[in-house]
Amino acid sequence: MMDWLLPLTGIVLLLNLILGMLRVYRGPTAADRMLAALLFGSTTVAVLLVFAEWMDVPALRDVALLFVMLAAIISVAFVGLPESDEGNP
Amino acid sequence: MIALAMDAIIAIGLVWLALRTVRGANVFSAIIMFIVFGLIMSLAWARLHAPDLALAEAAIGAGITGALLLVTWRRLQVLEGSVPQVGAETRSLWLTLPTGLAAALLIAGLGWVALSLPAEPATAGELAWQRLPEMGVSNPVTGVLLGFRAYDTLLEMGVLLAAWLGAQVVASEHRPGALPGPAHEEVPLVGALLSLVVPISLLVAVYLLQAGGSAPGGAFQGGAVLAAGGVLLCLTGRLEAADQASLIERVVLILGLAVFSGVGLVMLPLGEPMLAMPGVWAIYLIETALLLSIALTLVLLFAAAPGLRRRL
Repeated sequence: MMDWLLPLTGIVLLLNLILGMLRVYRGPTAADRMLAALLFGSTTVAVLLVFAEWMDVPALRDVALLFVMLAAIISVAFVGLPESDEGNP
Repeated sequence: MIALAMDAIIAIGLVWLALRTVRGANVFSAIIMFIVFGLIMSLAWARLHAPDLALAEAAIGAGITGALLLVTWRRLQVLEGSVPQVGAETRSLWLTLPTGLAAALLIAGLGWVALSLPAEPATAGELAWQRLPEMGVSNPVTGVLLGFRAYDTLLEMGVLLAAWLGAQVVASEHRPGALPGPAHEEVPLVGALLSLVVPISLLVAVYLLQAGGSAPGGAFQGGAVLAAGGVLLCLTGRLEAADQASLIERVVLILGLAVFSGVGLVMLPLGEPMLAMPGVWAIYLIETALLLSIALTLVLLFAAAPGLRRRL
């Protein structure tokens, strides 16, 4: 009876992603885009966990684990960027 | 119904992101779009019941390539002062319309052919599936990579080594120089982050290698994760470019190719074909060697350096 609940959660999370894309698209500063991309990473992890349960593919949890770990690299690569470009639209 | 809606959102999102990545006038925003494209792509692989590909996409597409693009952008800015804006010029309608139409027709044709093909497993796949128990590993992807198409995998390692050699030739012509230092003073959080993430990357790499026998994972994904830890050390200045590769680095670079070829020859005197696996231990031995070679090659490619050393 509750089998629609997980896919519905997935849909809501995906719609969240779509709304987040607008922030990446509009900016205006580089930091806004970057933070939106990092938020995407977290939402992707959530979607993957929902998929793992709903589709019964436990290996997707490993993929989620990988995303959590790799988000650190992207953020460090960004923080090292020169400051002058933050204002660049 | 809900599943269809979900797939539609993923598919439309992918196409839109691809468009924005290619058409974006702002290079930085295009890079971010590309990273997000990697995330959504791995969701698409997940929906297609291909967790192996989702793993690879996560490790290579979203992680290392994203960091590489961001660092390239940074280098461009140090070199030129500002990143050139691209895509501002207008294109003629006479050029874009027929090109777009032809591309759409091609995709439609390909899609139609793909949909009209019978959904039956092909002979090779069926045979590989039947004989998988003989390999001793229960993950079909690992079985196929090392058992049924080991020659391809061996040559892929050769390609990776050749790519590194090619990058060395280019780098010795145009020295990219050291990575530009961070603009800010290092915050204390960086050390704490490193002491957490780098050991975890080692742990996850070993886990993926071990899981590769029975579940999605394996040398390529594990190697990429280990390389991610190395990339992090490069980004935070813990490792810096050395003038030449040390002996250990040279050994590790060719380790995968050497161990794979060596084990492949072991069974030859017994009348077995080349690259026949002597047992499950051989698969894990080869996978370990491949993992180390892949990880080091990726880190060295990232740093565009012949070797690495600790920054003192």
